[in-house]
Amino acid sequence: MPLAQQQVLEAAVIARGRKRKRKLREDVPKHLRANRTGYLLIAPMVIILAVFVIWPLLNSFYMSAFEISFYKEPKFVGLQFYLYVLTSAEFWKSIGVGLYYAVLVVPTGMLLALFIATFIKSLSKRAASFLKVTVYLPAVVSSVIASQLFIFIYQDHGVANWLLSLINSGPINWLNDPTTALPSVALPGIWLGFGITTLIMLAGLLDIPDSYYESAQLDGAGYFQRMFYITIPLLKNVLLYLLVTGFTLAIQMLDLPLLMTGGGPLGSTTTPNLYIFNAFRDRTPYATSYSLTASLLLFVVIGAVSLLLFRLIRSDKAVDA
Amino acid sequence: MQKKHSRMMLAAAGIVVAALATTGCATGAAPADSGEKVTVTFWQQQMEDFQQEWYKKNVDAYNASQDKIEVKLEVVPADVWPQKLATAQASGTAPDITTINYGKIGEGVPNGEYLALDEVLPAASLDDLKPNIREFVTIDGKAYAYPVNVEASKLLYYRTDLVKAAGLDPNSPPKTWDDLIVWAKALTQGNVQGIAEAANATDLAWSTWGLQWNACDHTAIDDDWAEGLATDPCFQELANFYRTLYQDNLMPQSPKTGYSDPAPYINGEVAMMDNGSWAFASLKADAPDVLANTAVAAFPSMSGAPSETTATLGGWALAIDSKTKYAQQAGDFVNWLAADGTERMVDYFTISNFARFTARTSVEEALKGVKGADDPIVQTISNDVVSFAKHEPAYPFDISMAIGTAIETAMKTDTDLGAAFQTADDSINDVIAKQSLAGANPFK
Repeated sequence: MPLAQQQVLEAAVIARGRKRKRKLREDVPKHLRANRTGYLLIAPMVIILAVFVIWPLLNSFYMSAFEISFYKEPKFVGLQFYLYVLTSAEFWKSIGVGLYYAVLVVPTGMLLALFIATFIKSLSKRAASFLKVTVYLPAVVSSVIASQLFIFIYQDHGVANWLLSLINSGPINWLNDPTTALPSVALPGIWLGFGITTLIMLAGLLDIPDSYYESAQLDGAGYFQRMFYITIPLLKNVLLYLLVTGFTLAIQMLDLPLLMTGGGPLGSTTTPNLYIFNAFRDRTPYATSYSLTASLLLFVVIGAVSLLLFRLIRSDKAVDA
Repeated sequence: MQKKHSRMMLAAAGIVVAALATTGCATGAAPADSGEKVTVTFWQQQMEDFQQEWYKKNVDAYNASQDKIEVKLEVVPADVWPQKLATAQASGTAPDITTINYGKIGEGVPNGEYLALDEVLPAASLDDLKPNIREFVTIDGKAYAYPVNVEASKLLYYRTDLVKAAGLDPNSPPKTWDDLIVWAKALTQGNVQGIAEAANATDLAWSTWGLQWNACDHTAIDDDWAEGLATDPCFQELANFYRTLYQDNLMPQSPKTGYSDPAPYINGEVAMMDNGSWAFASLKADAPDVLANTAVAAFPSMSGAPSETTATLGGWALAIDSKTKYAQQAGDFVNWLAADGTERMVDYFTISNFARFTARTSVEEALKGVKGADDPIVQTISNDVVSFAKHEPAYPFDISMAIGTAIETAMKTDTDLGAAFQTADDSINDVIAKQSLAGANPFK
């Protein structure tokens, strides 16, 4: 655009900006200001959040300083339960199990989702929608049903051992061996979750302009080069979102280990939520306060790791075409 | 600014008023002695179908027989029981009457959860209880629950046909742990394994209480609840027994069900089963053909001497919440259901196929003439097991879990047993310190 035209355009934009600022500060009459409407519109959500999330959270922190009893006066103990939880080897072991589970489930799920999503992108419309439905089906299966299914698959004489017998490999004690129990539980976890991940990944992929791929192909880039230099950098935001939500959900997995192994041989599948759930079994004042404090500390741990993930994957704003 | 401030104050006031209004409409319950019809809530933990039927039948009969008290029955599944009950207690809507396991009495009473029944039940009802079972519910001289039944937690069930086919004598079941291993080896053939046993830490924790008494003459902690006793070598002998059963493949490596489910035995996947007396009721109700080929014996003991403890007595009782507004009415219902007369309890034991045992002397007398009560299996359980079974421990389950985990470690790894039980002992002493258990044994 010629220089003169550019300058006129810039001047007009600046003038408009000044006018807008003036309008905001003085010229809009009080009865037309949007503030009140804005507050009223967000009020229901804020009230619900305040009543059901913020207030209980603050109250929980307050109550964790007491030995809670519903029949006697709660006894003030200060930070004693925090000390009990932090010095409990089993709590840290469960955090380790949760992290190991997340490491098993999230990257595998995302890798699988990436390949399937790139595959779906290359299909015709009908084939693509058929595949999208198929891929999403496990996500609507209840985790209770999935866990029962996999228990039968992992039985001594179940399908998994039968498949192994076809290659003359011995039967494996999938769910009852401390080393194979958590990977065995992770498999249904991946199966249940990768449908949603695939669809979100697909949405992110469809946002990448085809012209990039075309010009890369013209320059002679292969499949993996296109993947590493175009797809993944442009999917950074989506990948970050999936990583953080996937991790947060994975570390809080409760149903699968509860139903499949009950915490597993020697605590090897006791994820943090399951540990807290089991700690509540006794229902004594000690157990009640202990499980409350453990939940709050889990909240802190998950928050810390999520923060770490955000820092590690410093994502820039997506580059526009 | 003033306008904004007053708007916020108005909003805050509105929220406070709404909160107060909703708490205000909590209960419209009738006061206890007003003569109006009173509603008493009763939560029954879900068990076999015939139990639900018995409770419902009797609650309806009670409600129909008088119009002062209405009992509302709610059946709650076992796996959500702790959460649901705790939530109700926290919000002040705890049920007036609940079914309760004997093991929970030791925890609940020091916490002030249950009402002493001496004021609301006639003395004759409490005196009718067998003395050893009355001890299960008595703390500091007061009874805190009324027993409905007792069950033995550990018995040996075996298939007489498979035993004969393996060349063993079904009339002389194994008496020692070594004998049991010999039988299990002989019976493990093809797809059938020797014995169905507890295979995870939780099941091991409570199903081995009787064997802990048998091997050690004590459980995991001393009577004062002051120190752990898990380093006693007798525990390692117990763990070795389980280790052999598991690592020699004499029991299913990946069990589909927990300890208390007799399904694998009913399905013919195992030739013997270690299970409680409730399994006999399941066999009678669901698998009479398997029952026809089944014999039952007391579980083998370490030394093989007769009349030794190998099982603990668990079972169910009825307790009344200490914060109930209708203590007299709740007591009236509990008395009518479980303590007054013998017809209802005889009916209960009849429909449970005599696999459960009564805590009341008068009911035991009344059962003598009843058809089916003289079943040889019932007699074996009653004479050889229930008479020698011990009380379930009252200490927190975490301590039992420490032993259960040590036994599971023995089964599923090759860890040195001394080290495994040292870990258990450290864990137990940690629990004793954190939960301030020293001197807190309510049954001492």
